[in-house]
Amino acid sequence: MSSDFELKVNVLPVTTYNFLHVNESTIKISDLSLGKRKSTDEAELPSGVSKKSGVSFGEAGKVFGSFSGRINVLADGYAAPNGDTSERDKEQAVRTGMGADVDRLMRDMNVTSDVYTVDEGVKADKPIAISDKYEDGEMALLSYVIHAKKDSEITVILMESSERSAAGLSGISVRLMAEDGAKITLVKTQMLGDGFVHFYDIGGACLEGAGISLVTLELGGCDVHSSAYINLSEDNSAYSSNLAYLARDDHRLDFNYVADQRGKKTEALMDFKGVLMDRAQKTFRGTLDFKSGSSGSVGDEQEDALLLSPDVVNRTMPVILCQEEDVEGRHGATIGQLTEELLFYMMSRGIDEERARRIMVSARLESVARLIPDPDIMQKTIYYIQNIL
Amino acid sequence: MSDNKMAVADINHSLYDFKDIENEQDFYRMEEGLSRETVLKVSEEKNDPDWMREFRLQCLDLYNRIKMPNWGPSIEGLDMDKISSYVRHKSDMKGKWEDVPEDIKNTFEKLGIPQAERESLAGVGAQYDSELVYHNVRDEVAAQGVIYTDLESALRGEYADMIKSHFMKLVPPTDHKFAALHGAVWSGGSFVYVPQNVKVDIPLQSYFRLNAAGAGQFEHTLIIVDEGADLHFIEGCSAPKYNVANLHAGCVELYVSKNARLRYSTIENWSKNMYNLNTKRALVEDGGIMEWVSGSFGSHTSYLYPMTILKGEGSKMEFTGITFAGKGQNLDTGAKVVHQGERTSSVINTKSISKDGGIGTYRSSVIIQSTAKKAKASVSCDSLMLDSISRADTIPGMDIRTNDADVGHEAKIGRISDEAIFYLMSRGISEEDAKAMIVSGFANPVSKELPLEYAVEMNNLIRLEMSGNG
Repeated sequence: MSSDFELKVNVLPVTTYNFLHVNESTIKISDLSLGKRKSTDEAELPSGVSKKSGVSFGEAGKVFGSFSGRINVLADGYAAPNGDTSERDKEQAVRTGMGADVDRLMRDMNVTSDVYTVDEGVKADKPIAISDKYEDGEMALLSYVIHAKKDSEITVILMESSERSAAGLSGISVRLMAEDGAKITLVKTQMLGDGFVHFYDIGGACLEGAGISLVTLELGGCDVHSSAYINLSEDNSAYSSNLAYLARDDHRLDFNYVADQRGKKTEALMDFKGVLMDRAQKTFRGTLDFKSGSSGSVGDEQEDALLLSPDVVNRTMPVILCQEEDVEGRHGATIGQLTEELLFYMMSRGIDEERARRIMVSARLESVARLIPDPDIMQKTIYYIQNIL
Repeated sequence: MSDNKMAVADINHSLYDFKDIENEQDFYRMEEGLSRETVLKVSEEKNDPDWMREFRLQCLDLYNRIKMPNWGPSIEGLDMDKISSYVRHKSDMKGKWEDVPEDIKNTFEKLGIPQAERESLAGVGAQYDSELVYHNVRDEVAAQGVIYTDLESALRGEYADMIKSHFMKLVPPTDHKFAALHGAVWSGGSFVYVPQNVKVDIPLQSYFRLNAAGAGQFEHTLIIVDEGADLHFIEGCSAPKYNVANLHAGCVELYVSKNARLRYSTIENWSKNMYNLNTKRALVEDGGIMEWVSGSFGSHTSYLYPMTILKGEGSKMEFTGITFAGKGQNLDTGAKVVHQGERTSSVINTKSISKDGGIGTYRSSVIIQSTAKKAKASVSCDSLMLDSISRADTIPGMDIRTNDADVGHEAKIGRISDEAIFYLMSRGISEEDAKAMIVSGFANPVSKELPLEYAVEMNNLIRLEMSGNG
């Protein structure tokens, strides 16, 4: 199968000034031709965890349909009044950060899903580590559904890598269903080559007391979209996201992370930190959306962008939408270069300026890499960071 | 505290919402709708120079071609076929209050404008519907060479070339649909020129009153503060409430020259049937300072984001704003800044309050261009939700194109803490008064930037809104 696609993705939950060019992003894919990719390192699953492969994309999404009354994806009266964009993703089984065009691509290309199910009450004794090492010129679309049943816990680690000189396409859809009291941790470290177009589209739903944690490192690729839309549908559900990024050369990064807080006493904590070098461009969209009824909820979203070249472009859109009185929402952004004071301090300790910069940059990225629960993958990621800098 | 309660009870709730019946014989009102004929008629009424008539027609063409904004609050309730673009009293503009027609004078007396002029202003312009009805500047200020006049007179007088070279150059009619509309049917407004190194110690004020139902007000304010000069300009606006939509699509263009300073303060209290689609923009040269103080209380729907272009090296901007969105209001406000020059700095500090189903949106953009080395920008926006039927959204944007800049942004959304209310109530203060006190404290960073009389007016407006009678 071969085809061209243009995807409209990462649509901001509410539109704003067109001149900022942040309302959406576009991915163009030419001559898409999928090979047969077999992910590795997944042979031995933790006990209590099952895997079903070859499930059609639509069929795999039905797990969300069985909770539709509770996830309540698009209830009336929830739309933001000034430029709400939720309507365009209405058809999704669960709303994702990149949106409905990714679902359509997956369906059009007959991508099948791997569905992991964690039995009720099972606390998986080890992570599921899924590794994909791409060949030069390879194009792959992958879909995963992780369904954690009541009071279960699971960690899934995705490692996407290739040779640094390699080019290709890597697109991943991950849909997460956390039933009451369940905890899902999803880790991804992306170390693709300088010619790779990569996208990573997450949609998740948490029922009562459930939690989703994301740890994401976007370190390679020339055109990267990375996004998540997490529905905190019910009371006491929680979401955290720790994301680190590095963009070099003419690379483009585009993020759209949304916490949709509907239940009472929900918590969303999002922390984004990264480094832009050379002529890299980055657009970051982060949204805390406190829906009516989310009383007692808190949300905090922080971005810390380090700009290391006069030619970088950094766009930041930290959005808070609020339809509930009894909530606390905060966002903060710090954008700039390393402070002279810090450099001076390090140089006064005998570290030259170049090395001091490298230490500060790698420390920023490594602080997220150290959250990877698999020591081997963590070391590979840190090694990659240190080498690429 | 009993005094405060008395103050709330004593406020005249009809302070702004009184209707002076316009005697049809005394007023000229253009028919509703927008066409080439209506634009030419406005131009004829204004006795425009040829270039302005042509400019208006070009703007009409642009208006017809530019699409409605695809973001922000709905403006579906605004039907230009039901808006009259031009309404004026048949009397000419006066230079003395006693010469102003009685009915109009009464309106401005009720609003306290003549009293303010006597007590605390260097000059006043008063616009009623589409035209200035009164314009005056103190002799000692005029003697400094300060020009404060209606824009139409300036178009034909000594400053005609200056107007032509500045008019809608900062806000081009291509900017958006309602800038084009403004260009087509603008009427009224003021021209201010402050010569080099002249410091105007007390403020000038323009007051805009839209009294006619189903009408639009399209005044144009053009201020040029020359090198080293200093001015505080205050803009006030109000209207009685009608059941039909009114439109305000004014335009403010501010030129702040090298080492000059301009403070532009606005207390906006349009009636709650008003679509306030106003455009304000300032260009600041080397070492210049632009300060905005903005209070948005009225209007049914607002799109209001004063923009500053920090062109010159070391130029500065400070924006302090408050928006209070009550029942039936959708107020989308904020600020925009573009850093072009080296060592430019901007500080945006806003407060937003939502109550009784009101929708308050803070929307902004901070752009730091690659030329703006060592630029600093700081944004702080706080929103206060007073109930769960209201809404507060924060939609800021930043576009940074140099690493040699320092940008900080923080925003908070929350409610009045129970502890604070409990503390005040334990001191014998009623819950309602406690909330009003806390909201006034929340607004304090804005009110302290205003001259005393206007700070009092703003606090009165907050009290009115808190009591549900705004």
